Parts: sequence; C-alpha cells; structure tokens
Amino acid sequence: MLRSRTRYGRWWVYLVLTVALVLVITPFVWMVLGSFKTEGEIQRVPPTWWPETATLDNYTQLFARLNFATYFTNSVVVAVAVTAGNLLFCSMLGYALAMLEFPGKRALLLVVLGTLMIPGVVTFVPLFVIVANAGLIDSLPGLILPFLVTPFGVFLMRQFISGLPPDLLDAGRVDGAGELGIFGRIILPLCGPALATLGILTFLSSWNNFLWPLVVAQTESHYTLPVALALYSTGQNNTQYGLLLAGACVVVLPLLVVFLLFQRHFVEGIATTGIK
Amino acid sequence: MRTPAMRTSAIAVLSVAALTLAGCGRPTETQPAAPQASTSIGAGPATGDLTIWAMGAEGEKLPDLLKDFETANPDVKITVTAIPWSAAHDKFTTAITAQKTPDLAMIGTTWMGEFAGLGALDPTPSSIDKAAFFPGAWGTTEVNGTSYGIPWYVETRLVYYRTDLAKKAGITTLPNDWDGLKAMAKAMQEKAGAKWGINLQPGGTGSWQTVMPFAWSNGAQLNNGDQWTFDTPEMAEAVQYYQSYFTDGISNKSPAPNSTVEPPFVDGSQPMFISGPWEMSAVEKVGGKGFADKYSVMPMPTKKTSSSFVGGSNFAVFKDSKNTDAAWKLVQWLAKPEVQVKWYQLSTDLPSVQSAWQDPALASDTKLATFGKQLQTAVAPPSFPTWEQVAAKFDTELEKVAKTGEDVKTALATVESEAQSIGTGS
Amino acid sequence: MLFAAFTVWPVLQSLFMSFTDTKEKDLRTPFAVNFIGLGNYARALGDPTFVKAAANTAYFVVVGVPLTLAVALLAAVALDKGITRLRAVYRLGFYTPVITSIVAVAVVWRFILQPDSGLANTVLGWFGIQGPNWLGEVQWAMPSLILMATWRNFGTGMIIFLAGLQSVPPSLQEAAAIDGANAWQRFWNITFPLLRPTLLFVSVTTAIGYLQFFEEPFVMTSGGPLNSTISLSMYTYNQFGYGNYGLAAAMSYLIFVVIAVVTALQFRLLRENT
Repeated sequence: MLRSRTRYGRWWVYLVLTVALVLVITPFVWMVLGSFKTEGEIQRVPPTWWPETATLDNYTQLFARLNFATYFTNSVVVAVAVTAGNLLFCSMLGYALAMLEFPGKRALLLVVLGTLMIPGVVTFVPLFVIVANAGLIDSLPGLILPFLVTPFGVFLMRQFISGLPPDLLDAGRVDGAGELGIFGRIILPLCGPALATLGILTFLSSWNNFLWPLVVAQTESHYTLPVALALYSTGQNNTQYGLLLAGACVVVLPLLVVFLLFQRHFVEGIATTGIK
Repeated sequence: MRTPAMRTSAIAVLSVAALTLAGCGRPTETQPAAPQASTSIGAGPATGDLTIWAMGAEGEKLPDLLKDFETANPDVKITVTAIPWSAAHDKFTTAITAQKTPDLAMIGTTWMGEFAGLGALDPTPSSIDKAAFFPGAWGTTEVNGTSYGIPWYVETRLVYYRTDLAKKAGITTLPNDWDGLKAMAKAMQEKAGAKWGINLQPGGTGSWQTVMPFAWSNGAQLNNGDQWTFDTPEMAEAVQYYQSYFTDGISNKSPAPNSTVEPPFVDGSQPMFISGPWEMSAVEKVGGKGFADKYSVMPMPTKKTSSSFVGGSNFAVFKDSKNTDAAWKLVQWLAKPEVQVKWYQLSTDLPSVQSAWQDPALASDTKLATFGKQLQTAVAPPSFPTWEQVAAKFDTELEKVAKTGEDVKTALATVESEAQSIGTGS
Repeated sequence: MLFAAFTVWPVLQSLFMSFTDTKEKDLRTPFAVNFIGLGNYARALGDPTFVKAAANTAYFVVVGVPLTLAVALLAAVALDKGITRLRAVYRLGFYTPVITSIVAVAVVWRFILQPDSGLANTVLGWFGIQGPNWLGEVQWAMPSLILMATWRNFGTGMIIFLAGLQSVPPSLQEAAAIDGANAWQRFWNITFPLLRPTLLFVSVTTAIGYLQFFEEPFVMTSGGPLNSTISLSMYTYNQFGYGNYGLAAAMSYLIFVVIAVVTALQFRLLRENT
C-alpha cells in the first residue's frame, strides 16, 4: 500500500496543503478576531488583523439582549430531529432506489431528482399555506416536519449505496438474510462515511435555515438562533458589524462540534465493517 | 418501499385533476367602494389581547415604551414580537396570504401601497388628527386617497460635511444652491486634500433616494395621478446635475460595491455625503471620541425649493384583528407628542409629530434641528404597490448614467416606458 | 407521505401558478385567476434583463462547476492518499468556508478585493502588477464571484468525495498493488470507477446549486456593476418580491428546465454501471 511505503506522505503535499489551508481559513480567522474588535476598528480601511483593543463588548451585548437558552434549545431540537429523520428515511429510500427492483422505481427517482431541481423560492408560499392549514404555524413541528426527508439526502444515499461493490450484497443474499437484514447488517455499517456526510450537511442546513423558521414562528419564543441573531445586527439603514461577527461566531461553534463528532466516522467507516 | 411511490403518483394524478376541475378565471371584477373608516375610537381604557410586530431594534425597545400604556390600561395584554429587518417583508407577505397577521405592526413606508392593496390594513379613524404630523410623512400612509395607520417615526436626507476640512478648503459660508454645493465639493478636492469631493452613489440599488431630492427640489414629480412622469425637463435637469459630479471627476464612479460611507468620511478622503440621521451615530462610532465636533449637516441645496426624501416607519392596524378598538387606542397613544419624545430618547428615532420637536431634547441639538427643519418640506414617493419595482428600473438606468455617461434623456425615456408597462398597480 | 405533502404539492401549485396571471393579491384565492397559457414564459424570455441574467448564470456555471469539482476532488485525494498526519486539521480547515456565515464572508472578501488597499492587489503589487477594481469593473466582477463561490463550496464536495474514497475497499487496492500497478493506475482503474456515483452526485448537486446561485451577488455586488453579476435566481427572487407570482413561477420553471437538461447530460456523461 501507498501508505506503508511513504510513511508520512510526501513533504510537498504538506506544503501545498498548508499554503492552501492558510488561504482558506483566513476569512474564518478574521471573523473570529473581528468579533473582539470595536465597531470603528472593524470598519477601518485597510483592515487590521489583531484587535487593537480587544473587547468582549459585542458578546456581552449579544447575551444581554438575547434570551439565549430558549433560542439555542429550539435550534438544537429542530436540527437534531431533522438530522435524525434524514439519516433514517433517506438511507432507507436511497437503499431502495439503489439496490431493489420495484415498479415505479424510475418514476420515484425522477420525482426525487425533479424536486431537488426546483428552486426553493417558488414553492415557498404554497408550502407555507399548507403548514398554516395543518395548524402547525408557531410550533416546533412546523419547523421540523417539512424537512424530515429531503431529496438531496435521498439522492446522496442512493449514489453512495450504488457505489458499493455489488458482491457484498450477493454475499448477504447467499447467507439468507432478508432485505431488512441486508440493509441493517451489511449496508448501514458500510455507509458510515456517507451517513456522517449526510449528518454534517443536514445539520448544517437545518442549523443555518433562516427564512422558514422566521416565517413560521409567530412569537419570539419559537425563534431559532440565526433568526434571533439577525434581529439586532441588521437595521433598516445600517449594520452593526461587531454584533454580526460575534453572532456568526456563536452560531458556528456548535457546527464545529458536530463536524468533529461526525468526521471520526470517515476513518472508522471501513475498519468497523470487518471486511478484509 | 412500494407504498410511498404509489401514493405519491396517485396524489399527483388527483391533484392535477383537481387543478383542472377547479376552473380558472377571475370573478368579474367590481371596483370596490372606497373603504370606510370607523369614525372614532371608543373612549375608555383599552382591553383585551394585542399582538404587535416590530422590526429590529424598534421591536426590542418597544416593550419598554409600552409599559406606560399598560399601566394606564391595566386590562390590556400586549405581546411584542421583534422581527429581523432582513426578511421582514417576506414574513409580512406570507402572513397576509395565510391570514395569520398580528393585530398591529410597524410597517416600512414603502410597503404601505402593497399591503393596503392586499386589503390587509384597516383605514385610519378620522378622529386621528393628520395635521399633527409632517405632511410628507402623512403622505406615506395614504393609498388611493385613504389613509392607513400613522407615521410613527421619520427620517430625511441631509448633506454631511467635515467642518474642519471645509475650513481648510476656504468655505466660509455654507452653500445653499446647486452650484454652491458643487463648488464646495470641488474645493474639498482641490484645497483640502480629499480624493473625492463628495461621496455619491453611482446608481444602483437605492440611489434614487439621493437623486430624487435634487429632482423634487427642481419641481419634478414621479407621477401625475396614475401616470408616471420620469421623462420631464425638470427631472432631466436634476439627473444631468447629478451626472456632472461623475463626469467632472468630483465623485467616484466605480467604488467597490456596498462600500460604506463612514471610513472615507472619517479619514477625510471623501469628506461629504448625503444620508439620513442614523449616520450621526455611525460616523461617531467609527470616528471615535471628539469626532462629533468635526462634522455637521446642512439642508439639501435649493433650486426651486429644498425638498429632501422622507422615510421612516408607520404603524398600522390589520383588518383581521379581532381587537381593532384597542389597537387604534394604542396607535393614538403612540402619536402623543410626549410619547414621541420618550420614544426618541429610547431609540433615537425622530418624531413624526411636529409639536414633539419643540421639546428641549430635540430643539437644543443643532444637527437635529436641521433635520427637523428639512422634514417640513420633505417628500415621499407615491404609495403605489409597484413603486419598488419601478424604482429598481430607475436605479439601473441611473447606474448607466453615472458610470457609462449614458444620455440622460434616453435613460429617462427608458425608465418611463418601463414604468408605464409595469403600471401603478392600483 | 411527508414527501408528498411538503414537497410535491407545493410544486404542483406553483407550476399551475406559472400559467396564470397570479399576483400577490390573488394568493388568498389561488384558483380565481386567469389562465394565460405560456404568456409568462414568453414575457420572461422577451425581457432583456432576464436574458442577461441567463448569460451570467451560464458563465458562472460553465467555469465554476468544473473548477469547484476539480479543487474538491484534488483536496479529497490529497487528504486521503497524500498524507497520513494532521488529516483532521486540514479537513476541518478546508471545511470552515462552508460553515462561516455568508455575511462575515462578504465583509472579508470585500476587503480582500478592495481596489486600493485590498489583499489581492497588494500581493499582485509585489510582482509589479496593477490589480483591477475587482468587484467594480464589469469584466472582473464575475470572475471574482466565481473564485469566491469555489472557495466557499469546495469543502462540501471534498467531504462527500472523502466519504466516497473511504468506501473503496483497501483490499482491491492491495490486490492491484501486488499486480504491479502504480499509484496513478490504481486511482484511475480501481478508485475512479467506484467513485463515479459519488462524482455524479457532487457534479449534479453542484451544478444545481450553481444554476441557482444567489447569495454571492446578493451580498457582494447586488447584481452590479451594470447588471454584470445579476443571476437568474436573484432576478426571479426580485419578481417574487414585487408580487408578480405568475411571472416569477414561470421564470423558476425555466430555470428548472435548464437544470433538468444539464442533469440529464451529466447522467449520460458519467453513466454509472461501467
């Protein structure tokens, strides 16, 4: 194997990756540093790197003005429920679309792809009216239900599962396992990296979702974190960059945690299946 | 796995059938009679539940203001929901569609025509005295001759300039006409070391708010009844004047997009700009301690008149409200001069009620007083539901005029024909 | 059922809307409108700004998608095969643009692309090159946005590729190595075919995302200068904002048709079962 021959990889790969890394994370670092600057310093041209007078003002203001615990809980509940729903339903549907034969399979795949392709803005108002008629306005289910299965997730899982070597399946069939058995005991364990990816991407999109929670929530107690953070940073005619950057840092922290939690499965994916 | 697929297609078939059967075509349109306003607001204290939507910082501070109202009306229960500005318009339109509106709300002045056109707003009772407000601001509540709600707070545009650099440029008396303003900007560039004399937006989103004050001051109008009037000599003269700042090199015609005015104002590279009252705190924040003494504001230069743009937010009651009487009582209370002054102190939003400006809190500040004076003649665009769409076309053509030197007459003719095809929407 | 209620029904209703003269005030009574057939479609295609937006979008997609895919695949392969240490660090680092708030991204990129004192032109200055006014000039605004979109989105493609690479059983690689295949042959003959479904996925979803690109011009240029960066989605979004629902729905379905054609092409090109 390549890895065993060149133990630490090639040095130039590290060099290129490190240069790229610096380029890539610069804005992220600036965002974090910026959140500790005063309003005047953030707007200065040319911009400064290190805060001249580091201040926690942006954060203290943010937390003093926000009912943080409520918004954070709402965001977590919604994002976790949506992620769990997608991991379960999308992998099942994806498996069916990739491996099983059933009438209407092609049509179903086309419907999934079709809905993936339609710009979200066009279906926004009709979707809102449905949710309103179902009496789900101003409730957490109204924030969760429409996103439990997404065409993106179904397509992702279908593609991954069709990329698995087919002989694994046949092996399962020979062993006499039923479809559910094959799905549960062979497919799912092999899908570790794919599920981790789906988890990260779903959590991210649910966590950052802004317009839907804003429109569905009628009282502030049902706001999610991004909605609440947008309240005070952007005004009618002006933007408070300090609050905005501090808010962006607060929102991004849980995403980092989720990414770190899920990404371990990239490495473990294959190892845990026990295939030699 | 079979079931969902089958159900999906079954539903699809059924829905298509339903759509076809439902039949289309509007019911024959009957011109609705002008909406009747309830003539008076009941006496006695307000009672019952009220839900209010308000945007951004206003939504955050409103509950503090309303404490006094709740004390005076112990049987009323108020819930304020703060909404971020960035998506407030989407929230209102979806709520109106699904009939899930609050009882009353703060509403951006440019949305009035749209929401009233949707039949969502309750006409203002005649017992509210319109003469108490700035006339231009009151105009923003009127749609097709009927008023919906009241102006809550206002803003207008003035010329900001650096006093220290003006002195350096040899400006001893402030200009009060078009030539004078241009000469001042040029002097800033030539004698005070400014890179650009005045920071003007070279067209693009919202630039009409800076151009129209010049046009209004020259006697131009955006509409005559329900006809758009862009292609007029008065408008052309104003736009040509605006264009000359770019062709003469006094203003930057290709700045970085979305660049803010504060940093170049503070470092002196662009020591003049035209904007609203919020810039006072914004430039002082960027400028730091003592900067408040280094700049001032002056009225828009006079041509035939000195007429700036008036904006701000209104307060309106929704038709679907089940408690309109209490809602209007609250609106009436918000328009009291002493409440307006208190609101200014809480939020720095400028009062829409003229008599509130006599309060020392406002009258003693010279910069503020200049805003108050300009507000008396400030003008708002017509409250047509299509105004934002027409304004976007206007902004696009203004960009061509400023950046590529397009002929002003051609540009205005284009705007006018596009505006006519969009219509007034009423 | 969920999928049907929350996904398929709104689609049907909006499709219906695109054939009618629905305005904002008709939404409460969605079927009491006039059927105008293809009128909205004709109006959209006859609108010069819409055509301009279509050309901009095509430019963005044709350059942006291959660039993003290439960078994402390169990064994924480098992380998977090229190095053994600090993988988690690089992986997280390359993913940060995806999770950084778009508003913060916009602020930083505006500073980078500032004409006088920006980072990009300062670096070019070291080599004696006078950099352009990136976002302020018609011919440079779009390339700047493409660069920014690639920077922002390659992380997503990268982690999907990484997951795809992880599910290639090492046993196949080892077998090939024993047969004397070099690294490039192993990648091309073993890894790449197994990666095809993943590649198809990333390329389809990236293309769909880019055909609907919106945020970059929305926060960076508002579509300017002189409409050189206005996108189809942005223009459509504006029409919804103005209350022209019928017209906006028609525009959306025109975008949809293009997306469908592009997706079909990609399926054809990257056909799965090799």
